[in-house]
Amino acid sequence: MSIVETLLSGQLLFAALVTGSLYALVALGLNLVYGTLRMLNVAHGDVVMLGAYGAYWAFTGWGVSPLLAAPAVAALGALAGLAVYRGVVRRLFASTGQTSTRLEGNSLLLFFGLSIILQNAAAFAFTPNARGFAYLTEVYHLGNVAMTANRIAALVIAGATCIAVAALLSRSLLGLSMRAVIERREAATIVGVDVDRVQAISFALGFATAALAGALVSMLEQISPFSGFPFTIAAFIVIILGGLGNIGAGLGAALLLGAIETYGVALTSANVRSVLLYGAFVAALLLFPRGLFARKSARA
Amino acid sequence: MATTATRGWLGVGIVGVALLAALPFFANPYLVATGLTLLMWLALTQSWCVLSKMTGYVSLGHVVFYGIGAYLVVITWQSWPLPLAIAAAGALAALFAVVIGLPVLRVRGPYFVILTFGIAELVKYSILAGEAASGTASRILFGAPDLLVIYFAMFALAAAATLLLVLVSRSRFGQGLRSLRENEEAAETLGVPVVRYKLLAFVLSAAIPGMVGAVMALRSTYFVVGQVFDPMISVTVIAMALLGGGDDARGPILGTLFLFILSEVLWVRAPLAYMLILGAVLAGFVLLAPGGILGIVDSLRARRVRSA
Amino acid sequence: MSANAVPLLEVRDLGKRFGGLTALSGVSFSVAAGETVGVMGANGAGKTTLFSLIAGNARPSSGTITLDGRRIDGLSPDRICRLGVARTFQIVKPFPGLTVLENLRTAAMFGRVALADRGRADRHAMAVLDEIGMIELASAPAATLTLAGQKRLEVARAIATGARIVLLDEVMAGLTATEVAQMLETLRRMRDSRGLTLIVIEHVMQALMKLCARIVVLHHGERIAEGTPEAIGRDERVLSVYFGAAAA
Repeated sequence: MSIVETLLSGQLLFAALVTGSLYALVALGLNLVYGTLRMLNVAHGDVVMLGAYGAYWAFTGWGVSPLLAAPAVAALGALAGLAVYRGVVRRLFASTGQTSTRLEGNSLLLFFGLSIILQNAAAFAFTPNARGFAYLTEVYHLGNVAMTANRIAALVIAGATCIAVAALLSRSLLGLSMRAVIERREAATIVGVDVDRVQAISFALGFATAALAGALVSMLEQISPFSGFPFTIAAFIVIILGGLGNIGAGLGAALLLGAIETYGVALTSANVRSVLLYGAFVAALLLFPRGLFARKSARA
Repeated sequence: MATTATRGWLGVGIVGVALLAALPFFANPYLVATGLTLLMWLALTQSWCVLSKMTGYVSLGHVVFYGIGAYLVVITWQSWPLPLAIAAAGALAALFAVVIGLPVLRVRGPYFVILTFGIAELVKYSILAGEAASGTASRILFGAPDLLVIYFAMFALAAAATLLLVLVSRSRFGQGLRSLRENEEAAETLGVPVVRYKLLAFVLSAAIPGMVGAVMALRSTYFVVGQVFDPMISVTVIAMALLGGGDDARGPILGTLFLFILSEVLWVRAPLAYMLILGAVLAGFVLLAPGGILGIVDSLRARRVRSA
Repeated sequence: MSANAVPLLEVRDLGKRFGGLTALSGVSFSVAAGETVGVMGANGAGKTTLFSLIAGNARPSSGTITLDGRRIDGLSPDRICRLGVARTFQIVKPFPGLTVLENLRTAAMFGRVALADRGRADRHAMAVLDEIGMIELASAPAATLTLAGQKRLEVARAIATGARIVLLDEVMAGLTATEVAQMLETLRRMRDSRGLTLIVIEHVMQALMKLCARIVVLHHGERIAEGTPEAIGRDERVLSVYFGAAAA
């Protein structure tokens, strides 16, 4: 296939949309968790992985369709998020103070340690081998684009969820307070936002969307205890490119990343997928060295 | 510096060095290989500290230098004399650090941590893609030197890394690094050439891991890219340094010994348990004892002084 | 300032823009060796920006800064420090994990006095600590100092670089009346014993008036007045800015 043919391929466009929508969903969750926590939660992708396993077991163990399992898994994710927030995060803030720079630098290592624990506990419980199942594999055709039903379902559900959450954030009062807390927590306290409640909800919602994404992914790919991590990387790229708290730009960035990956792999080879992903990651960080908090403080 | 403590450390150090130097002459090959691994971790952790403990720029990508060194030896296998290849491995790793150093060191805090991780992964996948594209299925190394030779090469590297950290720690350069760790803007305003110093620390921390990777490549006949760029190597180094604490050569020795003994005990019985413990050590120490063992000892001593 | 004295520091037509915001515009003044010049102005007048430009923490958008006849605008902060300019920060920036002595050791090793040998650097640092009255705190970690202590540390560190010009940015802020008096006395003493040139930003008026022979007044990034403390106190532009047009 020539380059032009590749770029115009409807098949690839569909694939890019599916990948992009999943990245958007995971990035959305990370936006909420990261925005609340202000620490780089590199274990976010592992929540995706756990959601995937949840749907996997639901299907292979009880025959429950992933489409039904997805909301259940999401609900479990929300509960887990609440538990983590109440049990760990609040204690973290209390003991060290939210402005402790030593902890901020080390927090990444903390979450990295947690990620290792999660991945290896999962490997211990589920064996490290990759697993998959087949579901909704009927193929539909739109023109000369072949689309499997599970991919269509994933795209629709991920897309709808992203739009719903984006609407929540931009239209509702809760969403407004969440955005306020993400942008400037101290100011939000002053204007009367119940920061603790908002943070708990953000956390729960962040975990829920990650788990949901995992359930969708389980339909499409083989999963292993270590398959969550690339989602973490992708989500960070999306947030860096789109800006923290900026959901709309995040959706765009996610689709862009999905496109880069899909078309890049098609133009080169499958081995290049990770090169593209990490290349985008490194480039994004080098271009925005202040990370995501480039506060436009002109205070001299 | 408390002279009794220093003398105590010196004594222990001399005994330890003598033991390690004599090991191949009285121990069986399994024990020698174990000693080799210990020396490897020492060399890697000490060199990591030259950058990350001194400047506060925590690198999660230390393995990239190791992998680059290993790769160089493998691709020049049989065509370059080994001593040259090993030296070149160190030089190549240092050169890589020079090239990426300036843009990378502009990134601060946790972003620097994940950036270094990303760079290591990027190099790994690039080499993997390159090998796949060139059709190289596997690389096999025949005729590698004896375990004894490898052991003493690693011994020299571990000694060099320790010496490097000791020298840097006591020098004016080290004072400058510590200052920029504590407050980069203030340090620069007081005359510390921070950009130059950061880069120098970065490059210094790269050369020895490059040579360590080169030497370790000689251990296995079958070269696997994923193994020499394994991110867990970076994580283990951080865990060892964190466990030990401090910002001079004592901490890494403590932390390396501790974690190494732990891994040797667990690896045979329960490798997954070891990984879980590694993760727990990382998370636990960051949360509860960011000063490591040395930090705990110091605070206990301070408490004893206060209550005296 | 006599007409044929070569100024130690000369700022000419200095301007700084941050995106759309103009922090400084067309600021000119000079400082002779040994003088103590004050910089006064409301918050946001551009005083700290001025210091950042002189010390090299930021680059001017326009204008020049000359030290001893040589251009220093655009040089890196560490270079400018070695040439003899030291500054303190409005929000103190100690090296929290290092001891007070180690804080000064850095200044002694890397500043204009450039004492590479640790022993000599430490002796120099101890001498400064003794003069400023902090010698008992030499082994205390900087993080354990009170605010007043950290402000003194900031000043001690700047002086320990061996600088000829020290830029003092609101070193009295947050201090009690007694502490202000102590700081004032310390500054006078150290200035006189070392022949330092000082440029002082201060809101504590009585300290400013007592310390400085001359004062430059900034407003919205522009210099609106310059003169002796008494003259400034009578200047109509200054009065109208501070007290409203009716007072002028």
